[in-house]
Amino acid sequence: MQLGLNADQRQVLDSVDALARPFLSPPLHDAGLALESEELDAALIENGFLDVMAVEELGPVTAALVVEKLARLPFAVEAAASALVRPLIDPELPRPLCLVEEGRISVPLRFLRPGATVVVVGPSGVRSFAASGGLIASAQDDTLYAYPVAFLVGLPEAMTVHDVDPAEVIRSWRVAMAAEAAGLLGAALASVVTYVSERKQFGRPLGTFQAMRHRLAEAQVATNTAYWLAMRAAASGDHADAAMALLHAQDAARRVCYDYHQFLGGMGMTLEHPLHLWTYRLKLLTAELGGRGAQGLAAAEALWG
Amino acid sequence: MQFEWTEEQDAFRHKIRDFLHANLPDDWEKFSEHGPASPALTAFARRFCVTLAEVGLLFPHWPQEMGGEGLGPWEQQILSEEMWIAGEPRGGQYMNVNWIGPTLEKYGTPAQKARYLEPITRGESLWCQGFSEPDAGSDLASLRTRAMLKDGNYVINGQKIWTSYAGLADTCFLLTRTSDDRKKGITIVLVPMDTPGITVRQIPSLIGEGDIHEVFFDDVTVPETARFGEEGQAWEIVAYSLRNERLGIPRFMLARAALDRAVMMLQERGDFAREYIRIEAARCAALCEAAGTANYAVVQKRLDGLAIGAESSSARYATVMAERAVCEFVVEFLPEALAGASPYLKMHHQRGIVAGIAAGSAEIQLNIIASEVLELPREPR
Repeated sequence: MQLGLNADQRQVLDSVDALARPFLSPPLHDAGLALESEELDAALIENGFLDVMAVEELGPVTAALVVEKLARLPFAVEAAASALVRPLIDPELPRPLCLVEEGRISVPLRFLRPGATVVVVGPSGVRSFAASGGLIASAQDDTLYAYPVAFLVGLPEAMTVHDVDPAEVIRSWRVAMAAEAAGLLGAALASVVTYVSERKQFGRPLGTFQAMRHRLAEAQVATNTAYWLAMRAAASGDHADAAMALLHAQDAARRVCYDYHQFLGGMGMTLEHPLHLWTYRLKLLTAELGGRGAQGLAAAEALWG
Repeated sequence: MQFEWTEEQDAFRHKIRDFLHANLPDDWEKFSEHGPASPALTAFARRFCVTLAEVGLLFPHWPQEMGGEGLGPWEQQILSEEMWIAGEPRGGQYMNVNWIGPTLEKYGTPAQKARYLEPITRGESLWCQGFSEPDAGSDLASLRTRAMLKDGNYVINGQKIWTSYAGLADTCFLLTRTSDDRKKGITIVLVPMDTPGITVRQIPSLIGEGDIHEVFFDDVTVPETARFGEEGQAWEIVAYSLRNERLGIPRFMLARAALDRAVMMLQERGDFAREYIRIEAARCAALCEAAGTANYAVVQKRLDGLAIGAESSSARYATVMAERAVCEFVVEFLPEALAGASPYLKMHHQRGIVAGIAAGSAEIQLNIIASEVLELPREPR
C-alpha cells in the first residue's frame, strides 16, 4: 500500500499541468455547450500523454491520473478511451476512439466523427472500423451534452477483428470512465465552491448556509472516494473493482449534477457560468455502459458469482 | 501509487488471523454477541489482552521507545481491521492501544506514564472517555463538569452521559471545566473510577449490553497531579487524539464482512438471483470499498508524517454511509437477521448505527469538511 504519487507520476502530472495551463478557462465569447480544442488534442498526442499506459514504469494508474486531470479542463478531450482502453486493443488505432456495446449502438456516441475509430465490444468479440460519413448521423445542434456527440446509423459489412477478451476491454472501459468522471466531479465541485463562496444573499455568502454546506460536504466525500476507487481499479485490474468504481462515480454524478445547478440558482440555468462544461459531461457518463444498474449487476457477479 | 499489501503486511495479517483462530473460543461468534462493552466481553478481554501482550500483538505498531515494535500505521490498520471484524475481542482496550497510550506518551508527566502505561502494555487496564454531557454533545465546548483547584486537589462536580465502558473502566479520561473561557477553559483530569463520589448508571441501549452510561461526579477529589497537560490544553489534546480515534475503528471492514455474510444467507435461500437485490448489494460493497480507500488515504498521510486534518472527517463520513447502507440492506432483504437468524448481522447492526454518532456526529464531520476541506466561508455564530 503506497497511496502517494511516485516521482514518475508526479513528473507526468506536472507536465500535463504545464501543457494544460492555456486551457484552464473557457473562452469568454464561446457560449456553446461542448468545448473542444484541436490545439490541446495535438499537444497531448505530441507529448505522448495518451500513451503512458504502455510505458512500464508508468502503467494504468498513471494513465488514469492523466485522464482524471484532463477531465478537469473545461475542454472535452477524448483521452479516457485512448489512454486506458486502446492499448489493450491496438495502440495504433486512430483517434478519437468511440466505444460502443454490441446491441446498443443507438446511444449518442461521444467524439463520433468521420475518421474516428469505432470499437464494438460484446459477446461476438471486439471489432473495430473507421467511421465514414455515411455511417454517421449528427446529433441536433443544441444537443444537451457538453461532449460532441453523434449517432451511428449502422455497422459496416466488414470490421477488423481484434484478438482480445471483450471482458477485459469492458473492464478497462469502466476504469476509463470512472477516472474521467472523477476528474469531472472534482472540477465541478471546485467551480461550485468558488461561486457560493462569493455570491451573497441575505448579506452573507451562500456557502455559509448549512443547507448548502452539508450537501457540498457530502459531495466532497463522494468525489474523493470516486477518485480513489478509480485509481484502485486501474491498479488492480480487477473486474469487481472496475464495476464498483464506475457504479460509485455514476451514483455521485447523478446526485451532484442536480445539486450543483440548484446551488447556482439563476446562474445555474445559464450558459454564462461554465459549470455545465463538467456537469453536462457527467450527465452523459451516467448512461455509459448501461448506467448504475448494469455496473451493479457486473460488480455483484464479480464479487459473489 | 500502489494498492497491494506487501508480503510482510500480508504475513502480519495472517499471523493475527491464525492467532485469533487458535485462541478465540469455539463459541466466540455467539459469545461476542454480548458486545464489546459487556461485562462478559470485558472480563474475557482482560484475559485475552494479556495473551495478546505476551505474543506481541497488543501494540506492535507503537514505537520501540514505547516498547512496541515500531511497525507503523499500516500494521496498526491491519491489526484494527482483523480485531474489529472478529468482533473486537479486545473489548474497550482497543482505545488504549489506538490513542490513550500514544496520547499519554505525548502529553503525560513521567509519573502519569509510569502509572498508566504499564497496565496498558500488560493488557490489564480499561479506560472510559468522559466527554459528552447532557447539554454538551456535538457542542462539546459547552461542557460544564467543573474541576475546582483547592488545596492541591481538584474537586470535581458534574455529569457525563453516553459514556462507553464506564461501568467497568479503571480510569476516566475526563474533560472538565476549569474556567469559563469556552474551549480554553477545558482541562483533562485522569480520574480513577473507584474514587469516592463517582456514581455510574447504565443506560438501556440499542447498541449492545452495558455499552453506555451516565456518570455522576459529586465532590470527587483527586490530587492536582491527576491533571493531564496544562489547564486549558484539553481541546488541543483531544483534537490530536480524536483524529486517531476517527481512524481507529475500521468499521468499513465489518460492514463489508456483514454484507458478505448477508449475501451468503440470501444465496442459501435462493433470493440472490433477484436483480434488484444484487444491484443494491453491489452499491453497498462500493460504499464499503469507498470508505476503505478514503481511510487508507488518511493512513498514508499519517505515514508520510503529515498532520492529519479534516480528511479524516471525510473518511469517517464515507464510513458512516457504508455502515448505513449495509444496515439498511440487511433490514430490507433479511429482516429475520435482527430477530435471531444471524447473531453476526445483529451484532453488526448494533455497532453500525453508532457510526454516525460516536466520536463526533456525522453532521459535525460535514461542518469540518465544509470549512476545512472545501474552505467554504464559515457560518456566522
